[in-house]
Amino acid sequence: MNIYKPELMVIKNIIDETKDTRTFKLQFKDEEIAKSFSFKAGQFGEYSLFGEGESTFCIASSPTRSGYIECSFKKVGKVTSALAKLDVGDVIGFRGPYGNYFPIEEMKGKNVLFIAGGIGLAPVRCVIWNVLDLRKDFKAVTIVYGARSVEDLIYKKELDEWQSMPDVKTFVTVDPGGQSNDWKGEVGFVPAIVEKAVQQSENTIAIVCGPPIMIKFTIPVLTKLGFAEENIITTLENRMKCGLGKCGRCNVGNVYVCKDGPVFTYQQLKTLPAEY
Amino acid sequence: MDEKLITLNNLKIFAEELLKANYTLILQDKQGIRWEKISNSDELHISSKLKPTKASFKEFVFSKTEPIFYFNNKNDGVELIDSNLSAEKMVFFGSKPCDAKSINIMSKVFNWDYKDNFFNTKAENSIVIGMLCEYRDEFCFCTSVNLSPVSSDGSDLFLIPTDENNFAIRIVTEKGREFIQPFLKLFAEGNPETTDQIFKKINLPEKGFESEVIRSWIGNNFEHKYFERAGEICLGCGQCAFVCPVCHCFDIVDEECGYSCGRRMKNWDACQFSLFTLHGSGHNPRHNQTQRYRQRISHKFKYYVDKFDEILCTGCGRCSRGCPVGIDIGQIAKEVHSLAANKV
Amino acid sequence: MNELREKAKELLLNNTVKLIIGYANGNGHNRTYPFIARNAADANRLVFNEYCVNNLAVYLTRKEFKGKGIIGIVAKGCDVKAIIQLIQENQINKDEVYIIGMNCNGAVNQLDNSFEKTTLAQKCINCTVRTPALYHALIGTTKDIEEPADTLGEKIKEVEKLNADSRWDFWEAQFEKCIKCYACRQVCPLCYCEQCIVDKTVPRWIESSAHTRGNFSWNIIRAFHLSGRCIGCGECERVCPMDIPLSMLNRKMSIIAKKEFDYSAGVSLDSPTLVGTYNMKDRQDFIK
Ligand SMILES: Cc1cc2nc3c(=O)[nH]c(=O)nc-3n(C[C@H](O)[C@H](O)[C@H](O)COP(=O)(O)OP(=O)(O)OC[C@H]3O[C@@H](n4cnc5c(N)ncnc54)[C@H](O)[C@@H]3O)c2cc1C
Ligand code: SF4
Ligand code: SF4
Ligand code: SF4
Ligand code: SF4
Ligand code: SF4
Ligand code: FES
Repeated sequence: MNIYKPELMVIKNIIDETKDTRTFKLQFKDEEIAKSFSFKAGQFGEYSLFGEGESTFCIASSPTRSGYIECSFKKVGKVTSALAKLDVGDVIGFRGPYGNYFPIEEMKGKNVLFIAGGIGLAPVRCVIWNVLDLRKDFKAVTIVYGARSVEDLIYKKELDEWQSMPDVKTFVTVDPGGQSNDWKGEVGFVPAIVEKAVQQSENTIAIVCGPPIMIKFTIPVLTKLGFAEENIITTLENRMKCGLGKCGRCNVGNVYVCKDGPVFTYQQLKTLPAEY
Repeated sequence: MDEKLITLNNLKIFAEELLKANYTLILQDKQGIRWEKISNSDELHISSKLKPTKASFKEFVFSKTEPIFYFNNKNDGVELIDSNLSAEKMVFFGSKPCDAKSINIMSKVFNWDYKDNFFNTKAENSIVIGMLCEYRDEFCFCTSVNLSPVSSDGSDLFLIPTDENNFAIRIVTEKGREFIQPFLKLFAEGNPETTDQIFKKINLPEKGFESEVIRSWIGNNFEHKYFERAGEICLGCGQCAFVCPVCHCFDIVDEECGYSCGRRMKNWDACQFSLFTLHGSGHNPRHNQTQRYRQRISHKFKYYVDKFDEILCTGCGRCSRGCPVGIDIGQIAKEVHSLAANKV
Repeated sequence: MNELREKAKELLLNNTVKLIIGYANGNGHNRTYPFIARNAADANRLVFNEYCVNNLAVYLTRKEFKGKGIIGIVAKGCDVKAIIQLIQENQINKDEVYIIGMNCNGAVNQLDNSFEKTTLAQKCINCTVRTPALYHALIGTTKDIEEPADTLGEKIKEVEKLNADSRWDFWEAQFEKCIKCYACRQVCPLCYCEQCIVDKTVPRWIESSAHTRGNFSWNIIRAFHLSGRCIGCGECERVCPMDIPLSMLNRKMSIIAKKEFDYSAGVSLDSPTLVGTYNMKDRQDFIK
């Protein structure tokens, strides 16, 4: 077995989320693999374009929806720029699923608070749909999502969909100055909106993903609300290459983020050197 | 323990027969730079007094660059072609204990959960003939990392010079026993007690520190200013990691190898390079050299031990002998030990 | 030694400089390593002797030091050449460096971090700057030293005599050894680029793989990027773990710069850089 050799996937659909972020809907070329493939919310993969290299993205679709996976990526460098040029029908490589996952089973019977910033909504979206597809297993669901500006919001259609759901409280915000003339959502940084939107922490799990700076200011808000450190869950995005616990790149303290993570509770994070 | 005797002359015949049996013999080169394949038993150049080569033999089990598969971008899609696993049978001849142990140490990371068959195939196809070591300089510290110049840990067979022209050879592993079987006519029966006497007479490098002390100090002093001493002069090159027998970090990159086809490569990489951890966003979790140097020390003496129960260092001293700015890892460990002892 | 320490103390105490990049004794005998002195106690650890081979000018462009006030540096004549070149290339500000120039009687040849006591380092043979060309304070005296033959020059001539194929074979055997550790680049005072061409990925100019093809592009492009700029301190060759004779390439390029353009790098603050200037009299005949 060559652990570094990807499977081939075909791009079935492309959505341009923002001017630099795209979502691919992907299907395995090989039907056997397509049938046997399964993953859990929070896991990631190594996506590759042959001749350009590999990039790490989370699987942004929900495991409750089988037959395809989705990923959303932002154009920042070599591989992501090359991927951004592809069309429906093109073939890319995929290795995965890798890493650990969100504790969906333990979250059942509890309230769930989702907090995401920018492209950080990609991993959270996977859990949101996972939870919403099993809606009755969970208590109150709250979503707080923010981006720099209205143009930077991703999954706009789904944001509307969540906002229209009676049993989901959804707050969408943009940074001050990022609002358009017809913007009807919130204006303000994510931590401030969380403070406004959330009143209690009882029996609640908070899932927080976004830029380091957002996480840094959101955590104190959550602890003030009384969230226990083990009930705040986040994902790390250390640079990765192999995804298999071999190449050493994602090593932080005693963990390999690609194998022991990327999902960590705030309690676990505090035992790690602050190298993420 | 099983032990045999062999004359220098017969050792050469042994080498000759191994070459005939299609083994690749790999030895320290005469310039002291790296390990080389030899094609003739006259080149058998082994001695317990050799200085460790600048580079270790790891490049034969963990290549500095190797294709992990090939791809063909065709009109009707992509074709992936497996890269052949090497079937070469390798013998590392006359390895010092600080090199011999390296395969076993790296094997831990290449085999937890997922298995890296590029490494494994080469490791399985390797025989390590270790040798007692009588070289000493101020950079050696094998005895501080649970090894010693007479340790056969990691060797399949272990050579002990008994005089100018004679050797004892210990059979250390089952693999070693099977390997030597067809050639036993070249060996006489030996007595482990005699070589035990030789071992006793070997002077050992003084133990400079307790690795356990280093491990717990790092665990409690992550932010200690001490790391700045090396960090501010460290140049952030890859010398120390690339010559090290047990550093195993790598990069994965694509490159062309002709029109519309290419290959994906697995290339050495190192935590001392500033790009190693740089995020796409520009954020770098280890943004200065002090943090990167701390990673080197911490990974070797704490993280790897916590995770895999092995110190990621054999005390060979290579990284220190070659460091452009004279950073000496053994000396640093010693200083950390005394910091720990003085509770500062 | 005392003179150096006293000077260093004075500069630190009266705040002329923020810190001094110098040498201190390393572990064991016969070794020095770069050392940053920030106070009087540190100043007392500074040393200067024939084991001070490092070219400390490499630190002047580092983020940790550059632009952080006036930096003192203990510098031999060859190190000062690098400083001059860095000033010429606008990498450091002339007023932000205080050079404690050392009259130098040659450094000894270094084999990894042990020394061969009896031989003079290659770079010291035919040295014309035993007294630095630029300094703010000058320390020590020069004395006569015995200089061995210039083996580097000989080696270059040997290889020049070969035909193209054999020259290729010679360099192939050398470059094949390269492990892409980039110690040569990191130690070089003139390899200061924030992003080295070998690290550029969009597009990728130089393959990062350490196979012969990738190594050829790396070693040759590095030599090109240093032609007319290398000041010949020999640091790259000293630190190369694979013993690749990098000085042969660099020396050859500087011989050409001298012959074709009458230019030597790092010699004077008044001569503009070779690659940064255009002169009507420059030869054009290489443009075909
Ligand atoms: C678990 C996990 C999940 C992730 N999920 C997502 C996701 O869902 N969506 C998403 O968009 N991202 C995600 N990321 C981040 C994503 O992996 C990176 O943004 C992506 O791999 C960048 O790849 P690239 O090849 O385009 O960039 P690269 O070209 O490799 O580099 C990106 C940037 O790094 C810098 N850089 C690279 N090389 C150099 C150099 N030599 N010198 C200087 N600077 C350099 C440059 O600024 C460059 O633009 C995730 C990461 C992890 C670890
Ligand atoms: S070899 Fe020395 S200078 Fe280079 S990274 Fe290692 S410790 Fe730093
Ligand atoms: S860290 Fe240095 S001393 Fe330890 S094994 Fe590696 S090269 Fe040898
Ligand atoms: S010390 Fe650095 S280069 Fe070596 S194995 Fe550890 S992380 Fe990798
Ligand atoms: S190329 Fe080598 S010799 Fe020239 S300045 Fe740089 S380190 Fe010194
Ligand atoms: S120092 Fe030597 S081995 Fe390292 S990159 Fe430079 S030429 Fe290659
Ligand atoms: S990405 Fe390679 S070890 Fe984690």
